[in-house]
Amino acid sequence: MSEKYWMARCLPFDVCSAPGSLLAVLVVMVAFSRAEADEKKSPDFERQVAPIIIKRCLECHGQRQSEGGLVLASHERALAGGDSGPVIVPGNPAESLLIARLEAAEMPPPKKGESQQLDAAEIATLRAWIATGAKWPAGRTLDLFERTTEVRGGRDWWSLQPIKRPPLPSIQAGATAAGPIDAFIHEKLSSADMKMAPPADRRTVVRRLYFDLAGMPPTATELERSIGDESPDAYEKLVDRLLASPRFGERYARHWLDLVRFAETSGYERDQEKPQAWRYRDWVIKSLNEDKPYDQFVVEQLAGDEAPWRSEESVIATGFLRLGTWNDEPNDPQEYKYERLEDLVHATSSAFLGLTVKCARCHDHKFDPIWQTDYYRMAAAFWSGPIEPRERELLGGPKKEELGYDVLGWTDLSRDPPPLHLLKKGDPRHPEDAVAPASLSLVPALERDFSPPPEQAKTSQRRLQLAQWIVDPRNPLTPRVIVNRLWLHHFGQGLVRSPNDFGYSGDKPTHPQLLDWLAAELTSGHGAMQGKESERAAAKVAAPVSFLFSRTHAADLASSWGLKRIHRLLLNSATYRQSSLHPRQSEYAQRDAANRHWWHAERRRLDAESLRDAMLAVSGDLDLRMGGASFRPTLSAEALEGLSRKSAAWQPSPRREQVRRSVYMYSQRSLLTPLMTTFDFADTTLPCGQRDVTTVAPQALALLNNAFVHERSTALARATGLGPAGKRGQQIERLWLHVFGRAPSQREKEAALAHLDEQERHFAAQPQSPEVTFPDSLPVTESLALHLRADAGVAANDDGRMIKWSDQSLSSHDASQDDHSARPQMVNAAINGQPVVRFDGQKRFLHLSGQIITSQQFTILAVVSDAGGESHRGIFSNWNGAAGNSVTSVFLGLTGKNGVRLTDDYAAAGPSWPRHRHILIAAVADERDAAVYFNGAEVGRKGAAIARRNLTTGYVIGQQGNIDGEYWSGDLAELIVYDRALNAEELASVQRYLVGRYKLIEPPPRLTPTELALASLCHVLLNTNEFIYVD
Amino acid sequence: MSINHLYPCGLTRRELVWEMGGGFAGVALAALLGGDGFAPRGARASEKSSQPQSPLTPKKTHFPMKAKSVVFLMMNGAPSQVDTFDYKPELEKYAGQPLPEGKKFINSGGRKIGFLTPSFRKFRPGGQSGLLISDFFTCVREHADKLAVINSCHTDSHAHGSALVAMNTGKTFIGRPSLGSWAVYGMGTENQSLPGYVVILDKRGGPISGQPNWSSGFMSAAYQGTLFRPTGDPILDLRGPAHLDRGAQRRQLDLLAQLNQEHLDARPDGQELAARINSYELAFRMQAEAPEAVDLSRETQTTLDLYGVGNQPTDEFGRNCLVARRLIERGVRFVQLYSGGGHLEDTWDAHKSIETNHGQHAAEVDQPIAALLTDLEQRGLLDETLVVWGGEFGRMPFSEGKGEPGRNHNPYGFSMWLAGGNVKGGMKYGATDELGFEAVENKAHLHDIHATILHLLGLDHEMLTYFHQGRDESLTDVGGRVIREIVG
Repeated sequence: MSEKYWMARCLPFDVCSAPGSLLAVLVVMVAFSRAEADEKKSPDFERQVAPIIIKRCLECHGQRQSEGGLVLASHERALAGGDSGPVIVPGNPAESLLIARLEAAEMPPPKKGESQQLDAAEIATLRAWIATGAKWPAGRTLDLFERTTEVRGGRDWWSLQPIKRPPLPSIQAGATAAGPIDAFIHEKLSSADMKMAPPADRRTVVRRLYFDLAGMPPTATELERSIGDESPDAYEKLVDRLLASPRFGERYARHWLDLVRFAETSGYERDQEKPQAWRYRDWVIKSLNEDKPYDQFVVEQLAGDEAPWRSEESVIATGFLRLGTWNDEPNDPQEYKYERLEDLVHATSSAFLGLTVKCARCHDHKFDPIWQTDYYRMAAAFWSGPIEPRERELLGGPKKEELGYDVLGWTDLSRDPPPLHLLKKGDPRHPEDAVAPASLSLVPALERDFSPPPEQAKTSQRRLQLAQWIVDPRNPLTPRVIVNRLWLHHFGQGLVRSPNDFGYSGDKPTHPQLLDWLAAELTSGHGAMQGKESERAAAKVAAPVSFLFSRTHAADLASSWGLKRIHRLLLNSATYRQSSLHPRQSEYAQRDAANRHWWHAERRRLDAESLRDAMLAVSGDLDLRMGGASFRPTLSAEALEGLSRKSAAWQPSPRREQVRRSVYMYSQRSLLTPLMTTFDFADTTLPCGQRDVTTVAPQALALLNNAFVHERSTALARATGLGPAGKRGQQIERLWLHVFGRAPSQREKEAALAHLDEQERHFAAQPQSPEVTFPDSLPVTESLALHLRADAGVAANDDGRMIKWSDQSLSSHDASQDDHSARPQMVNAAINGQPVVRFDGQKRFLHLSGQIITSQQFTILAVVSDAGGESHRGIFSNWNGAAGNSVTSVFLGLTGKNGVRLTDDYAAAGPSWPRHRHILIAAVADERDAAVYFNGAEVGRKGAAIARRNLTTGYVIGQQGNIDGEYWSGDLAELIVYDRALNAEELASVQRYLVGRYKLIEPPPRLTPTELALASLCHVLLNTNEFIYVD
Repeated sequence: MSINHLYPCGLTRRELVWEMGGGFAGVALAALLGGDGFAPRGARASEKSSQPQSPLTPKKTHFPMKAKSVVFLMMNGAPSQVDTFDYKPELEKYAGQPLPEGKKFINSGGRKIGFLTPSFRKFRPGGQSGLLISDFFTCVREHADKLAVINSCHTDSHAHGSALVAMNTGKTFIGRPSLGSWAVYGMGTENQSLPGYVVILDKRGGPISGQPNWSSGFMSAAYQGTLFRPTGDPILDLRGPAHLDRGAQRRQLDLLAQLNQEHLDARPDGQELAARINSYELAFRMQAEAPEAVDLSRETQTTLDLYGVGNQPTDEFGRNCLVARRLIERGVRFVQLYSGGGHLEDTWDAHKSIETNHGQHAAEVDQPIAALLTDLEQRGLLDETLVVWGGEFGRMPFSEGKGEPGRNHNPYGFSMWLAGGNVKGGMKYGATDELGFEAVENKAHLHDIHATILHLLGLDHEMLTYFHQGRDESLTDVGGRVIREIVG
């Protein structure tokens, strides 16, 4: 590992290019030219000398760092000098090493070959200061972070100042009058001699609200109802209705999931599933829908296991600390735990504080007043958790006994962990002093050490104290950061445009007072709240919150930290309801392209989830069931190629699951769904406060060609209804209303009609693609070794017990059972009118005559339904322990809920499949590989040949060889064995034969040219900008 | 100052402008342009007047590029250096003895620690330079005079998952942009109808850790690697249902353009809408041009034979190498080919037997790699194409047990080579100790390899930064030294 590996590259900001700094430099130069003129006159220490030392020297020569033994933070230490002796000789600049080093440009040292030399005026000031005796006010200590300079933010940085509720600006007469937010917006607009855009029309605003709050479009009926509502508070009612809809929680949860790097697997080689990660997702949805107070929301995620109201729910919330990537095979597990700490510190400080605390792992923060010790103080909160290397199966989390619940959560393993040491340059091999757990120090009034846990506590309670510090109503960051996030999601940009960085490298608020007013609204709970809701909220939150926090007044208790109130304030503003187009668009765009005055609404492209959900919604396919395990969409084989473990390949969920909302889509770190990533799905490794919005050709390819989009187009065509040719005009009107919520223009209508006409003619003229055929007899017979079908060659007793089952191949490997009590049952018309042989797991099985398989390459196909179970269940086997053929036997069987085993050498996890559902299992072993298919889809591949089998021992059906155990409980309709590996084409045709015979899969319906033409039109509409963008 | 860093999740200012649409120029730009960490300080002023552009538009590099494009031959699973490009005669002498005590290492996977074992194949000199290369690579050996072999590579992890990610992204943890992403971020790409950064996997499977190996991390998704299949439709979503043939789709696009134009007419500010309209025309072209890039039917039989296409065991990798040349010719910036996929013996991960494993994999790639070098040279492309060969780490000079023929993972010393792209040929750089265990002379950390590759592309690894969450991120972080000794 390279020596400097751990040291982050945090470049000092490029001062010269920063707007505004030039002015500052000029001012300073004017001041110094005067100083230069008169060396005899002592420069003012506070105004002239201290800023230079703080800005240019203290980073290396401060109280905490003392490069070369030199500290310039106090009078005494400055005069004492460093390893090379004194550097300041009062009264004699020429003898002062300080001046010599500055003039030689040796100090500050060059960075990356660029000189960092002080400018002449600065040096002159210091020279004059020394010449006049280097006077230093008694007791004055300089601090790197005491003030903001041109290169870094100090503790006086705007976001760290207390939130003061500003008075509302007065609204001028004639302005688009509305609420308090508009007052702030108007004030700045009018000072720039600008005006808001006019209100957007109703249809636009309703669509905007639906996409914003529900993440999907209104139905035509909903749109009509909302537009048609003539009551004066129609808009406010709609806002309330949408905020109360369960769709709201689903929509806003997704924003939060981006922020907490949500995914459901660990990443890296094995990419293990994080079990029940979906319960965290459901917890977020529920919390937002219930309007859980934000402080409680924060506390539960950081310390739900330590909170006095601890419950399974609150422990699920600590899943927040478990969502990061996790490498089960790091290079050095002892070093890896520091990487995990960094992830936890980064996720916590980004999400809740909008700070980049992780930059201080290796050194004091380059831009913000965060000491290196601050990083370790915060990291210490997580230090007693399951951070040490332990068994791989735990995936870096606690055991369920330690956690108290069998969920994905976090808790401390001890109340008193060993000390955490500050690491020199962040390097675990160079520990320095131990750091006591405490809050960050950047707001001195709130700085506090964390107390040791009370006697009865099992955990260190550090996280609880960290959480309390974060949600302390006086913490200036927490409320500012969250109200800015809400603003960002409603308006497309934040008041602070860098939502995860409220520090010096971030953006300053466009409207600082408005931000503070909103933050004050959030924490104080002033303002109107509707009676009923207030009571409900009070009942819900009073118990936990009153215990934890200093909320004394019932009114505060009821309404403070409620996010829906803030949503409502934002949404009910005139600012929100503006049109995206301004009458003076081009002029204003020249003056304020970034819309920092909020003079128009931002037109927005649908995010990946909204786009997918909108397609499902208009096609009528959308399934709104909430919560539960995630679904996996069908991915093309090409998309699966990147996986290293094809045997653990992606198992698509049943189709009815696949039409659920996108927030319920499974997020696997090694394989994110291409349709989603193409549309800028958030990175799952780091907190993401705002997604990219790109416009790239692969997005067009996806919408033009992806099967999902075509399925939606076809469904939309169906939903629109296929009227006779004469009614096409009405059809088009219905379609437009359905997709866009408006009638088509005459030109649009004509173009659509022409399209239908042309496409229909084109499709009618196309040669019919050959229908997928289902062979009605077994299409491959070469090397056929066994063919049993329950509708042929069956001899049974009167009670339906099978005596003999004759092989339909030419090999005469008949199946039989002499022992009546062991005979399986014939059942008629069990599947698609066809009979099956039923094994009930009560020691029923069949012997096969002769050696079925003679070659190491073979193919086995079986149409079965499985009655389930957790144990091994043999379907076809020649296992024989007594004959020494145990691990070398060949068999096909089931195991666990959905596992399938092809010999002891290979087991694949099948898709989860309902019990008793009929499926076709196919298994092929060839010279290089072995693969298992369910209903024609590959579910597992070994990636190597199966080790050599002993094929000579006797074969049975319905149990694991002669073991007298591992009996199978299920139905067998047909069993086919080949004494060789079928090639892909042969395998496909045999599978088609069985699928067709048992109707295992619904064949896709063939569409007429008329239907195809309408689907083509629907497809075009789903590709339009009107569909993809919201005004 | 803070106006300089106003982009979500890594979006740079320039992309932001582009995303706001084409034709967006003039005063508005001044608020948004002003340097995005790509350009060195002081060079920003000249960019302020530039038009908004696609993130993939060719860009001016920091200094003149020596290579325009890269073919990275990734030997997934980690080939053994002492059996391929790092000749260690001392292993003959010490055969059967344990590694000397002073040599510390992590025993990856807790496997058996055996005894020093000499190369499984003979080394012989190649070319004028007489570079010693083993008989696993007899065809590549004929190109010895083109190779700069770096014998002193070392990396940060002994585990495949994190070491692969490190070789691709510089760090052992997932989530960082990969080398190819940095290349297209820094240089753009020359053919807008093809992805700028293409990854072709081994049919046996993807590399361990999957997607993060070609991810763009915190950068815009426009810079991520695109998986390319070497036959048929090379990228996802290139073809819709059969009945929507080109004529039918053209009619769809014409209607779409008409509807979009009416929509745009009512929104005169809609630059992002215009950009999307254009993206459909580009997509339409890509549908034709991408399959053409992998269509080998126009290649002569001589060329196909040269690469071993149609013969086993060279067919697959030969095809991939040939496709790589076609992509480079068409202006693709960065192509990565994987040899080995999935796990263990399907990769170069020769725990069981060097002879069997490397025998198989080297036979698959040796002729195709040599053919690629020949072909590039014959077409005059070798000078502008950098070819990189290597695995995620190397292998131990000792066996996995007495008489066992396999070797365990070794991140402390391994070999890679560079060729073409104005790299000096016929030379060795750096050295491992006498046993081939660890790099000792002119050590080359993977950051140094990355810095050198960027350097050859005209990019300064310290200046090529991407501002993300408060920090100017770079591929090599605080490390990296350009190995100037191998630069021609």
